[in-house]
Amino acid sequence: MDKKSFKGYLYLLPSIIIMLAFTVYPLIRAIIMSFLGDYSIINHGYSSIGFENYKNLFADPDFAKSLKNTSIYVICVVPASIFLSLVIAVLINSCKRFKALFQTIYFLPYVTSVIAIGIVWRWMFNSNYGLINYFLGLFGIDPVQWLNLPQYAMPALIIFAIWKSMAFNILIFLAGLQTIPEDIYRAARIDSTPRLRVFTRITVPQLAPMIVYSSVIGMIGAFKVYNEVFSLFQGKAGPANSAITIVYYIYDKFYNSYKYGVAAAGSVVLFLIILALTQIQLRVTGEKKKK
Amino acid sequence: MKLKKFGASVLAMTMAASMMVGCGETAADTTEAPATETPATETPATEAPAAETPATEEAPAAEAKNIEATEITFWHAMNGNLESVLTEITDEFNASNEYGIKVTLVNQGAYGDLQTKLQASAAADALPDLAQAYNNWLTPYIDKAVKLDDFVATDFDNWEDIIPAYRDECSEFGFIHAVPYNKSTYVLFYNKTMFEELGIEVPQTWADVEAAAKTVMDAKNIAFIGYDDLAGVVEASLHQDGADYVDATGALFNDEKGLETCTYLSNLYNNGYARLVGEDGYFSNVISNQNIASYVGSSAGVSYIKAEGWDLGVAPLPGNVKKAANMAGTNIVMFAQDSNKQLAAWEYLKYILSTEAMTKWAVNTGYLPVRQSSYETAEYKAYMDENVCAAACYEQAKDFFFSPTFDASNDIRSTVPSTVEQLVYDKADAQTWLDTIVKAINDQY
Repeated sequence: MDKKSFKGYLYLLPSIIIMLAFTVYPLIRAIIMSFLGDYSIINHGYSSIGFENYKNLFADPDFAKSLKNTSIYVICVVPASIFLSLVIAVLINSCKRFKALFQTIYFLPYVTSVIAIGIVWRWMFNSNYGLINYFLGLFGIDPVQWLNLPQYAMPALIIFAIWKSMAFNILIFLAGLQTIPEDIYRAARIDSTPRLRVFTRITVPQLAPMIVYSSVIGMIGAFKVYNEVFSLFQGKAGPANSAITIVYYIYDKFYNSYKYGVAAAGSVVLFLIILALTQIQLRVTGEKKKK
Repeated sequence: MKLKKFGASVLAMTMAASMMVGCGETAADTTEAPATETPATETPATEAPAAETPATEEAPAAEAKNIEATEITFWHAMNGNLESVLTEITDEFNASNEYGIKVTLVNQGAYGDLQTKLQASAAADALPDLAQAYNNWLTPYIDKAVKLDDFVATDFDNWEDIIPAYRDECSEFGFIHAVPYNKSTYVLFYNKTMFEELGIEVPQTWADVEAAAKTVMDAKNIAFIGYDDLAGVVEASLHQDGADYVDATGALFNDEKGLETCTYLSNLYNNGYARLVGEDGYFSNVISNQNIASYVGSSAGVSYIKAEGWDLGVAPLPGNVKKAANMAGTNIVMFAQDSNKQLAAWEYLKYILSTEAMTKWAVNTGYLPVRQSSYETAEYKAYMDENVCAAACYEQAKDFFFSPTFDASNDIRSTVPSTVEQLVYDKADAQTWLDTIVKAINDQY
């Protein structure tokens, strides 16, 4: 190691220490914990070493349900949010006069507490007095029991989450739109290219790195969904646990059931899922870029 | 290139995953560092060394108390008016005690926050001297609670004066681990105006409930009854039917009695006589809007009911072959390890449990007195004359039962409500109710 890079590492030291202490160490502890049966965080005792927690985990129908719900959530929320954000970002960008105003408005959800937003959405979803059912009523649709019936719990959660996650994506895309050279658009205008084609052939390809970034970050975030569930269903996981997610399950096992080992096993499974999917995502998008 | 990218993504993932691991663990883990340096607690903890110490020092202390001035930390989850009453009583103690003991109240938010905080502190060996707690929170660290048997035996005015069910609850682990404090019970809140309008008497039995529910359904097309605590109603109904609920081995009601109870409950829901709370959160909101005729909930929740344009009535829970009512509310547990602090904390507990302070607490908060002598004071009697809720609670004080605590009890508490909800959505029959609930409970062992 030459002197120069030593200095570099020195600068990195504080963040490395913080990361080792608060990220790597807990991660290793969680992995170890997941292999200890009946582990107690109080006296660090355990009854067995092995896959007992994983067996319990996969035998638990609630965990299967949480896996299923989380997958549905990720599949619905991430693409929908990116698509809508992209459209809105382009619209905001093309609007000259009130750009700053709209930028602020669309960014508000990001800086507002999820719990506060959850209260507002709870009212909007209210079956009797809610805005959403009011609008549906204008089209002759009967009131939907959004938060009362298990079959509507996930749709309600997904709608809420798409809206919530758009703020960050819009910000990223707006920043990305600034970097697209004006010349390309000018050339397209000279050729009188239709607007839709400008969008699909110029804007989207130019924004590709941001879209990849948003989808990776969005997917990781979506797999960890917990706050949204908690705030929308007042601390529960929806009617009859119908909107239970993996992190909610882990939290519940850890803090309410004191099944520390099972909670750790759940978090390791989640870690592996996210790791695998992110790898696939990076490979696929990476290869595209090479072309 | 590829390797670098892989490394980067692993790092990103690591951060992502550990953030969520952190979700479950931060509290425990950040505070865990100091815990590792006291490995000594690991082994002797099970023997509860703390319990022995006060015993020896306590006996002489009873005559000539030798308590050095000290500070006691008390973690609680009392908010709003409850907190100001607790503060007032505590300030009185701080000002009046002769030893210079100062009790510091620390508000830890809601019960859930307090539970989480206590658990993390137990892992870090940094528990407060005193804390409010439910028995089922304590299972992982019950051996850190100070055994109070000797204090009670040698230095308490009249333990027999404490309501028997509370005494049982506070000694369910085989020793006295707590003293009861902010106790409430489940009662039947009802819309008195609606009852009078429809000529309904307050239901005393399950049959009365069904009859009244039919009247309300026919006249108003709304549900008659709701239950804030779905695990609680299953347990209470079984007791009302003379059956048992669960013990450390499993569900105890897989029999005719259980089926009878399930028949009652499933009929209520399937006929629309009972409803789930759903988006309304708590039935106090539903009854406030007059969308239900009555509900069963904690007496401590009475202040959340807005009776505007109608009168609120409160009654003991209806029974079947007998009466049975859930108790709710926390007890105070002592974790102080230092013997001087234990003595000081006990002085405080004695003070707040004294008939006088307890009466003051009960009258100002709506919590139930934990001792008979408080019920009998002129002050509390006058309070009951004005307060329908307090009177109803007192009427059923003889019927209290508490939920037993064992390894699986937390899982059962969290599983039963969602199981019942699903049965209600499925409009399941009584046998399905019984089989499903029994299986859900037995799966937790």
